[in-house]
Amino acid sequence: MDDRPQINFMWHLIWEYRDVLLNGLLTAFSVSITALALSLVVGLIFALFKMSRFMVLRGISTLYVNIFRGIPALVSVIWVYFGWSLLFGQNFTVYQAGVIALTLLYSSFFSEIFRSALLAIHKGQKEAGLALGMSRWRIFRSVTMPQALKIAIPNIGSMFIGMIKDTSTFTVIGLAEVVQVTQNLNSVYFQPFVLYTAAAGLYVAVAFLVDFIFRHIEGGFTYPRKGVINRFLTHRKRAHVEKLIEINS
Amino acid sequence: MTVGDPGTTLMSLRGIRKSFGSSEVLHGIDLDITTGSHTVIFGPSGSGKSTVLRTMNLLEEPNEGLVNFLGVEYGPGIDGKREKRGKAIDLRRQVGMVFQQFNLFPHLTAIDNIALSVHSVTGKSKSESRERAAEELKKVGLLKWALNFPGQLSGGQQQRVAIARALSLDPKLMLFDEPTSALDPELVGEVLSVMRQLAESGMTMVVVTHEMNFAKEIGDQCIFMEEGNIVARGGEDFFDTCDNERARQFIGSVL
Repeated sequence: MDDRPQINFMWHLIWEYRDVLLNGLLTAFSVSITALALSLVVGLIFALFKMSRFMVLRGISTLYVNIFRGIPALVSVIWVYFGWSLLFGQNFTVYQAGVIALTLLYSSFFSEIFRSALLAIHKGQKEAGLALGMSRWRIFRSVTMPQALKIAIPNIGSMFIGMIKDTSTFTVIGLAEVVQVTQNLNSVYFQPFVLYTAAAGLYVAVAFLVDFIFRHIEGGFTYPRKGVINRFLTHRKRAHVEKLIEINS
Repeated sequence: MTVGDPGTTLMSLRGIRKSFGSSEVLHGIDLDITTGSHTVIFGPSGSGKSTVLRTMNLLEEPNEGLVNFLGVEYGPGIDGKREKRGKAIDLRRQVGMVFQQFNLFPHLTAIDNIALSVHSVTGKSKSESRERAAEELKKVGLLKWALNFPGQLSGGQQQRVAIARALSLDPKLMLFDEPTSALDPELVGEVLSVMRQLAESGMTMVVVTHEMNFAKEIGDQCIFMEEGNIVARGGEDFFDTCDNERARQFIGSVL
């Protein structure tokens, strides 16, 4: 005979509290995407520092990357939220603290991702730009960086999924993300299996969504461009070139 | 006669020395390029011929010596005296270069490869730049491939796009660094024929090549290099009259 206790799974809770759960997901997503934008910029800056000819900049970058790559998200957010206000008397909202903590962590990863992507570009590309008389900034912007982004994008996508998952630790500062709202519901209904299954389902759904989005972005960096949106974005230029071909031939 | 007319000196190298680490690869090169001339440089691998060519647009900064282009001096100068020098970018904007590995930008279509540099160097609008690019593509017979990416073109076609890209900036001097060495034998011809047309149109050219027949055909200044020195040089009859034993031996082994 089965001696496990009889449990009544209240699956209907998921549907009943769909707004609450989805709001949690929205918060997690919003914190993550803000932090993504910031950490891409910060990461790129530190990648360029690391590749600079100035030793000081290289040193600063190494220090930054090793410190923030080494700190777990949970510790980072506690430090930003409680530590910062203790030291400097300035309070961040939980939302701000979450964005800052994630940015510090993930910019250090992005720095390494960008650096390796930039290093993977054949030096002949830069030489071709120089030989044509293009400025260094123009070569970076129009030649090296677009090619490096193509290499970096799949990694950025994986990191973004990691960021969304890391927001789950921000429940310690009371950010109303997925785990926080799940815990709140659980304390009322004591249905951990049902509620955490719902939480897991949400994270997995987001992983699929992010994968889909990044695949599409990747399509914009393949040659020739893939996908309807990417084609649409270049159609005016194509039309102009097609006209030029017609006129000249 | 003013500077830049046919027959006047366009570029001269004086006392070019270049080291990579502790080994010196160029031991003081002197070379004059006359406007409208076709200089061919050949010699065994490692002789420094590519390095000489790359000095001409300062992709390699010499350790010593100077590059004079239309009266403006570039490089460190002789005896390391750093006087007022021209900027590398100004030199490069007047000198085109074609590489062994083509070095087209893989993320841009053939036409955009050309239009990008026209737009960013001359400041022309993007659509004007594309019009100029289309003209250049037409000259190398690749206009209908304008929307293809380098990965969708054969090696010979890619090299022709690379030549068109360099020409779109109206260079006064064209440098070719073994332009056919990376090509399948059957694709060499189309690139050489574009270069031949260019030579006939009066473009000043310096060509580093292993294609001895082509060198013999277009070369009116022939340079044979070995171990970082120019060991023999001559005019268009060099291949018949050269009395340098080592050069004769080299020509004999590749022709």
